[in-house]
Amino acid sequence: MNHYQLNIKADDKQVVLERILQVARYRGFLISGINARVNTGTNIGSIELMVRSERSIELLVDQINKLVDIKEVSVENDVSQLCSA
Amino acid sequence: MKMASEQRLTGGSLLFKVLQQHGVQHVFGYPGGAIMPIYDALVDSDVQHFLCRHEQGAAFSALGYARASGKVGVCLATSGPGATNLITGLADALADSIPMVAITGQVPTSAMGSDAFQEIDIFGLSLACTKHSFQVTDIKDLAKVLHKAFAIALEGRQGPVLVDIPKDIQLAEVPHDIEHFSPLKNKVKLPPANVGKAIALLNQAKKPVLYVGGGVGMANAVDELRGFIDTTGLPSVSTLKGLGAVAPKDDNYLGMLGMHGTKAANLAVQESDLLIAVGARFDDRVTGLLNEFAPHAKVIHFDIDTAEIHKRRYADVAILGDLKVNLPALAIPLSIDDWQQTCAKRKQQFAWRYDHPGENIFAPAVLKEVSEKMPSNTCVTTDVGQHQMWAAQHMLLNDPSNFLTSGGMGTMGFGLPAAIGAQVSRPNDCVIAVSGDGSIMMNVQELSTIKRFQLPVKILLIDNAKLGMVRQWQDLFFDGRLSETDLSDNPEFTVLASAFGIKAKEITKKSEVSAAIDEMLDHNGPYLLQVKIDALDNVWPLVPPNTANDKMMESI
Repeated sequence: MNHYQLNIKADDKQVVLERILQVARYRGFLISGINARVNTGTNIGSIELMVRSERSIELLVDQINKLVDIKEVSVENDVSQLCSA
Repeated sequence: MKMASEQRLTGGSLLFKVLQQHGVQHVFGYPGGAIMPIYDALVDSDVQHFLCRHEQGAAFSALGYARASGKVGVCLATSGPGATNLITGLADALADSIPMVAITGQVPTSAMGSDAFQEIDIFGLSLACTKHSFQVTDIKDLAKVLHKAFAIALEGRQGPVLVDIPKDIQLAEVPHDIEHFSPLKNKVKLPPANVGKAIALLNQAKKPVLYVGGGVGMANAVDELRGFIDTTGLPSVSTLKGLGAVAPKDDNYLGMLGMHGTKAANLAVQESDLLIAVGARFDDRVTGLLNEFAPHAKVIHFDIDTAEIHKRRYADVAILGDLKVNLPALAIPLSIDDWQQTCAKRKQQFAWRYDHPGENIFAPAVLKEVSEKMPSNTCVTTDVGQHQMWAAQHMLLNDPSNFLTSGGMGTMGFGLPAAIGAQVSRPNDCVIAVSGDGSIMMNVQELSTIKRFQLPVKILLIDNAKLGMVRQWQDLFFDGRLSETDLSDNPEFTVLASAFGIKAKEITKKSEVSAAIDEMLDHNGPYLLQVKIDALDNVWPLVPPNTANDKMMESI
């Protein structure tokens, strides 16, 4: 099982968090943790999503990137220690 | 009354003004409590509404309209069950990348979240079956949201968008006049294509095959594809949704690949050393056992959707972006005469045979004859099952917009309402719904829509009194243990059609086929031709599940 952390920037729009979680689940990624906050000045949401899966993380990154309200997705490598801690 | 309605612009009337800004002339829907202000505004609108007899019928009609015309299809439904009845249509549109905007009424914002009558969280339900969705909670946002909905439905890889509008927003007045809109900019930055590497792969290949998907039609790139084929001379195969993109009589065209593909197509792909996938996504019905699909081939993958690259098959070169631009960039003459001849020989060797013994009607021969006799601009829709595969195998289709079938979702009940939408969008073209006796009952209420609008849709009903494809699989893969696939208690379809004022005829013998097809095509109005076939007829060839495509069953 591979562990990853995704750092996501998104417009603060309706159900954007639900969309991300739905895509992660549907594409075969279990969610280990999540931190989310919104900058009320810029209306940009920052989401740290910890996921685990046997599948390639690029599969999830590409699908999240397709969501309309997403501005940026990046992956932090080798977070297995972080997630299992 | 009319003056009063002109003096104010409610959310409902704003909706139709925005629809007209986007060129929408026709919508499909069904009214109900939470969408009444929109239906009230419809009375004063120039948009023509087609009342369907079930919201699923409205969704599929909008889908058929979109696929036959290249425009965005629009459907309307009320809250609760009206909205949930759209779900299958939305899922179908998402699976096949069809641009559609679905408008749902919602209970007033003050009642939302209270389990009100006919309240359902359609916004939440839509997440898994739309490209995007909106819920409008402020009248000031309505126009902007609607403009965005159309832009999102059309940009990049197309798809369905749902806009949920609470009743109080439909009734609220707009503080400003309607705004102009500008197309949404595509936010996805596509990496530059490595054309040089792709050309090198093309030049090195000894056995290249062009694998054509539904993306070609969606990109309006049929001409560019045919130009590419003319220049390269590539042997080509097609997915179900790609049918019609390659000229059907192209010498190097080998037909559909995959589970019910032609032997020539599947063998060519399995033997190929280079697969050029164009707007195709390596679907499981195409690849069979993925690890053994085209095992010797490198891959050049053309697509508009970054997420499709490497999703199921590694691509040696990805060419992302507009096919209309990218295909001509790779059009170079190739020296593949030996390979062309091998493919042509197989095409001839494994050509379809229609010398079916006995007096029973052979469905493939019927479909072949219909496609030979129908006008060249005919739009064919299908339902899902054996008749669908026979239509895909045996009908010659000259454009993707002339063959509408539920590919990704495989939705029974698609064909009849999709034909209604196609006929509305192309009133002067012949439209034929090829259906089965299982599928047609899934949305049979839409015969009433055909009657109401006197749409001259022709229905070719292939009737084996079975859920034929499931029965075939039960026979082949479940030891012949037939389970719930007998439909011998179906209604008398000719009588049923007559109840809706539709002329109908039943045929049971091979000798009746030609005259019956002529009568159907010559009839000036809707017509149902019921074609009785043997209940045990199977679709061949068949690649069994989890099997490589070169291990086809051809009969038992």
